[in-house]
Amino acid sequence: MSDPRDNVQQEFLAEAQELVEALSRDLLLLDEAHQRGERADAALINEIFRSVHTLKGIAGMFGYKHVGTIAHALEDLLDDLRLGRTSIGDPLLDVLFDSVERFQLLLALDDPQAPEETPGVDAYVAAVRSIGADPVVDGGDPLDRYAIGPAVLSVLTEYEEHRLRACIREGMQLYRLRATFDLTAIDDSIETLRDVVHDDAEIITYLPSLEGGNDESIELVVLLASRVEEPALKAHFEGQYGTIEVIEERTHLPTIPPNLTSIPPDAQSVLPQSDDEMGQASLRSLANSVRVDIRKLDDLMNVVGELALVRSAVSRVVEGFDGDPKFRQSLRELERVGRGFERQLSELRTRILDVRMVPLGQVFSKFGRIVRQAAREHDKQVRLVVTGANTEMDKLIVEELADPLMHLVRNAIDHGIEPVDTRKRLAKPTEGTLALNAYHKGSNVIIEVEDDGGGMNAHKLRETALARGLLSAEAGQELTRQDMLNLVFLPGLSTNTAVTDMSGRGVGMDVVKTNILRMGGVVSIASEQGIGTKITVTLPITLAIIRALIITVGPRIFALPITAVREAVPFAKQDVRTIQGRKVITMRGETLPICDLGELFGIRGARRQNSRFVIVCSMGNRELGFIVDELVGQEDVITKSLGESLSSVRGFAGAADLGNQQLALVLDAPSLFSEYFEGADAPLAVETRA
Amino acid sequence: MTAGAQRATLIPDPDSEEGAVPVLAVSAGNEIYAFPLAAIREILMPPPLTEVPRAGEHFLGVIAVRGQIITLVDLPKLLKLQVPDRQPLGRVLLVEVGEEMIGVAVDHVVQVAQLQSDQIEYSGSMSAELAEYVVGVARVPLESSSDAEEMVILIDPQVLLGGLK
Repeated sequence: MSDPRDNVQQEFLAEAQELVEALSRDLLLLDEAHQRGERADAALINEIFRSVHTLKGIAGMFGYKHVGTIAHALEDLLDDLRLGRTSIGDPLLDVLFDSVERFQLLLALDDPQAPEETPGVDAYVAAVRSIGADPVVDGGDPLDRYAIGPAVLSVLTEYEEHRLRACIREGMQLYRLRATFDLTAIDDSIETLRDVVHDDAEIITYLPSLEGGNDESIELVVLLASRVEEPALKAHFEGQYGTIEVIEERTHLPTIPPNLTSIPPDAQSVLPQSDDEMGQASLRSLANSVRVDIRKLDDLMNVVGELALVRSAVSRVVEGFDGDPKFRQSLRELERVGRGFERQLSELRTRILDVRMVPLGQVFSKFGRIVRQAAREHDKQVRLVVTGANTEMDKLIVEELADPLMHLVRNAIDHGIEPVDTRKRLAKPTEGTLALNAYHKGSNVIIEVEDDGGGMNAHKLRETALARGLLSAEAGQELTRQDMLNLVFLPGLSTNTAVTDMSGRGVGMDVVKTNILRMGGVVSIASEQGIGTKITVTLPITLAIIRALIITVGPRIFALPITAVREAVPFAKQDVRTIQGRKVITMRGETLPICDLGELFGIRGARRQNSRFVIVCSMGNRELGFIVDELVGQEDVITKSLGESLSSVRGFAGAADLGNQQLALVLDAPSLFSEYFEGADAPLAVETRA
Repeated sequence: MTAGAQRATLIPDPDSEEGAVPVLAVSAGNEIYAFPLAAIREILMPPPLTEVPRAGEHFLGVIAVRGQIITLVDLPKLLKLQVPDRQPLGRVLLVEVGEEMIGVAVDHVVQVAQLQSDQIEYSGSMSAELAEYVVGVARVPLESSSDAEEMVILIDPQVLLGGLK
């Protein structure tokens, strides 16, 4: 673990992953703009170019040859794009989107040098290269028409010059903005200006004016291109940023701006430009954050646990002095100090947990590409709307969520949103909407995956469940509409019999549900036929801490995650009946299968008599009662997994420290359920109400 | 965990000047075993034990050590030796095996001994099952023993505890 090469490798992978994610996000924005028929945002293309450029750089440094090769080819293509030598079209976008997947594939390889394990690198590069430059249209240099001095033109980079020409061609007006900037904060100020200007105008370049500045400040002349009329632009910038003036076309006013031309050509060194500027920007962003292995946070948390032990050890020592009047005053003082210590400790714990929080946007950003791809494959039009992407959750949960959410998203496109012609016939907008909403609710995070598609056919679900023998005929009679919808969580049930490329690949809704339950969450469905479906996932903010019911069986203590528990009721032995070899009791007219944890775990000393409890747990449409001896209470516990050596023992999600090194095994309800119902008569299982 | 534990070797390097391997001699049941000292991360007083239902008989359960959950195994039972239950536990050796830290319960820690290569008898007269984990047996002069030498069983912890199920 301490192999420095490994660390460096991890560092590279993490950074490369971030770059690829950023690339993926930016490509989506580019695609959206293109589909809407809008002009591509030059800053965005530049951003994409930078990501690929940086990726190429670090791939070369760490010996990821194929990543480097692909990034290099893309860089050339993107350079053509940003310099206007090629234009955006579907083939180009396809190639770019394809790159994201290729990068991810290559980064997942163990051996970066693997010669040609991943076929298609060369073919892909060829495909990239085949998108050549557009034929050059020569209409005379538009720059000639403007009064921009040669001294300025000579210091423009190729890119800046291209943008200047492009803006003029698009009929934008050129402006000269004079603004004074504080020298110490000049980089930030220019970034701010860039942000402010962005919607109204494009900054082509900026140069120091060599006047109007002093030791602390500098006046810059900013060359702007904008569609906004002069008065409006003036109203926006004048005063706040300095003065603004129009650069007229030469035919109208052939004056040479004195200040711009007075700059000697070597003056550009005053300010970092193009590549240098890029390097500085990325250095700045690194200074504010550090990447930390989540295991290090676990270690920190362990130290906090140790400190709590030290605190209780001190208390024990103190108890030894109790009753001695000599120490009364000091003991009281010590107790006060001890309470302060505990407060700080709990604060420390909260802060560490806080560090583990990451925005859900990390996983949401992956879906844009999937939605686009899935919609194209199915010839459907889908608009993805994301709200609450900055809702924060424990890093581990966000990671674990990716697969279940991906499945829900694919389901919504595959089974939910109708093809374009169907939607037209139904007078729905041809473009379907898929919404991903996330928000906090108490100590939970709610994530909704909502589509405005065809909705689920509850009766069809019931028919399928009956046909597949997942449901007995009598049980089928009594189902409410919601019960029928919940049938979708049964293993082996899928409404669409055709196995498509995306969903229906054997990973069903039951797996989604199990995975979410494993994280201590719950899933629910709301669906109206013809209107749409909403799947709601409720999760605890952090995985590390779960609320658990502490129970005993004989001398043993267990923790049962509260999310699985519906209720706990006194157990009366005489109520137990046996149906098909299984013990059941009747609760409020419903049959409930029961499982004695003492028997299941072979615990000696479990109670035989009556004063025991049934804990009714539910999972999907199944209910099961666990018989336990005592209910100790509810507690927030930190679950830690059992070691590799115990991984084959079923039924436990891990262990939790209840304090003073007393561990309680945390019961894994999904695993106990599947163990109990395995090979069981399924109809019996669903007979109980969901 | 920090520095990856070096593969502890029980075979003394004949070229090295000392030609000796430090081992930790421990007693469990009726035998004395020796672990290469380099394999032992820590020796603990046994913390409260939580039994894990349905785990193999050689698993005593789990313990919490500095917030980490550690699996505790019983040495004689792991070697499939018939021994009476020996509660309370004497000492716990923490051994790092691959990615996992495993606790090995023993009765007593006897001493650290320097094992010379000529003390080890590799031709084991032990059962085939044992031979897998056991490097050999050695006669070691023990401080506590009135006899001049005591027979110890040399354990290879990586083989014994790796891939534990």
